[in-house]
Amino acid sequence: MGIRLTVRDLDKVYGEGERAVHAVRGVSFATEPGEFVAIVGPSGSGKTTMLAMIGGLLTPTRGTIDVNGRDIAQLRGKALAEYRRTKVGFVFQANNLLPYLTARENLLVMARINRSDMKAARARADQLLEELGLTARRDALATELSGGERQRVAIARALMNDPELVLVDEPTASLDSARGKQVVQSLIAEVKGRDKLGLMVTHDMAMAELADRVLEMHDGQLVGQAVAARG
Amino acid sequence: MIGFLEIRRRKLQFALVGLIVTLISFLVLMINGLGVGLNEQAGRALRNFDADAIAYSDRAGLSVIRSELSAETVERIGEESGARESAPLGYMAVNYRRDDGRVKSAAVLGFDPGSIGEPPVRAGRALTADDVNGLLADRQFLRASGLKVGDTVRLSVRLQEREFTIVGELNEGAFFFQPSVYMLRSTWREMKYGMVTENTPSASIVLLKGEGLAGKRGTGWEAVSKSTAFANIEGVAGQQSTVQALRVFGYLIGGLVVGVFFYVLTLQKTPQIGVLKAVGASTGFIFRQLLVQALLVALGGVVIAVPLAWLTNEAIKQAPDPVPIAFTTGTFVTTSVLLLLMAVVGVLFSGRQVAKVDPIIALGQQQ
Repeated sequence: MGIRLTVRDLDKVYGEGERAVHAVRGVSFATEPGEFVAIVGPSGSGKTTMLAMIGGLLTPTRGTIDVNGRDIAQLRGKALAEYRRTKVGFVFQANNLLPYLTARENLLVMARINRSDMKAARARADQLLEELGLTARRDALATELSGGERQRVAIARALMNDPELVLVDEPTASLDSARGKQVVQSLIAEVKGRDKLGLMVTHDMAMAELADRVLEMHDGQLVGQAVAARG
Repeated sequence: MIGFLEIRRRKLQFALVGLIVTLISFLVLMINGLGVGLNEQAGRALRNFDADAIAYSDRAGLSVIRSELSAETVERIGEESGARESAPLGYMAVNYRRDDGRVKSAAVLGFDPGSIGEPPVRAGRALTADDVNGLLADRQFLRASGLKVGDTVRLSVRLQEREFTIVGELNEGAFFFQPSVYMLRSTWREMKYGMVTENTPSASIVLLKGEGLAGKRGTGWEAVSKSTAFANIEGVAGQQSTVQALRVFGYLIGGLVVGVFFYVLTLQKTPQIGVLKAVGASTGFIFRQLLVQALLVALGGVVIAVPLAWLTNEAIKQAPDPVPIAFTTGTFVTTSVLLLLMAVVGVLFSGRQVAKVDPIIALGQQQ
């Protein structure tokens, strides 16, 4: 069984009074288990803020984020860190790997943080690297990897603790379109193959079209959604 | 694990800070060694006195140099209730000429054979009441003068010069920052005062054994403990406070260097820390990595500095006029532990910085 996410009347306001900025206003949507959803919109449309709230990095001003019947908008402190550690896998923009660690060690850090059994973690890291075509590069330092390889390692890292929710922030920002497409396709294959829920923020419509569904945001509001047309 | 791997992968960066920590540890060790060495120079011989208390003239302000006791007073001190044993001791500074022509000074202590003022002889023989021209010389004096048991030496004070034969070797240490030699108190009296009459002072101080003698006073005298006597040696207080200040600065600078290094490292790694927090790492987990790194760097520095300091001191000892540095196991252990503690204190500031990092920065978002 996959994860079910329901966002209701989500608001995020930065600051107060006249200086208040309404980054997200009244956003509601629901996902199906195993779905891969892209969130698109221009810069400043609130898509990253929404991703951050779903990922437990920001607390909403109003609204609920229901993850399998648990409102994570109510979580704070350690509970929120535990939610991020056990339920969420993040894929950030390029260069967010620890530069002094190898590809494999970057994955094993996740197991250390989660206090997992290291023997099982090593096997899982090797398996993920193999699936993403990185076996030959597993002992290369993050700084020695190409942009595409780094992002694939980041995908493997996000999946390392077997999260239910994979959140992706502009994964192709530093890649050319061909390499970007490869990375997103690998990402979707890994997420869907494991029956996870994937949410990807992107400004690149070509990448968004690879998702099952596209949510479009503008000025903090959800202004449209469409099932992606696949060629 | 991450902390250790980072050190392995950033060898140069950590080796440089390790080198600085090594040098600071070395400096602090040498300062501590100097503190111990100067203490020994100031008066190891005094600390070695077989006494529970030392009596001075009450007009001397606890100065051995200025203290002069008459035979009557010495007798009264010995009769003080609680005093099981007593021994008058004379002190004076003398000069002697080394083979290279240089004039050096020595501390002369005049004692009575058979009394508690008699030092234990390590080589050669003890002085007898007939050895009016005999001398017991401390090892430090023998090393500094190049003399040995059986040799003669001319000691001069004021306008007098007198030849002595070294009959025994001692290991009592220095007195008043000078290597010490011991002679009969009667000889000391003659040398120091020339013509001896009934009014000639009989001793400088009196060693006392017994309970509750420190703090006692009588007509013309006062007694203090050995530690009080040591602290009142001219120059000791100033010297020890100077060494103490250097020592404290050494520890502070050591802690500061480690602290600043890890603070800057933490600032540089803020984006990475944000990512680690975003994926669920606690502040404690991240701080532990820093702590492991700080301890490894400090430990590395100390482990290199300890033998380095010891070897340096061994080399210094070979010099004809060595800097008085002395190490004890306690010096090494205390200094090492304190330096490690300072590294931990230094890294605490970085812990605050780690706690302040907001995981949202992992998304490159400005709040």
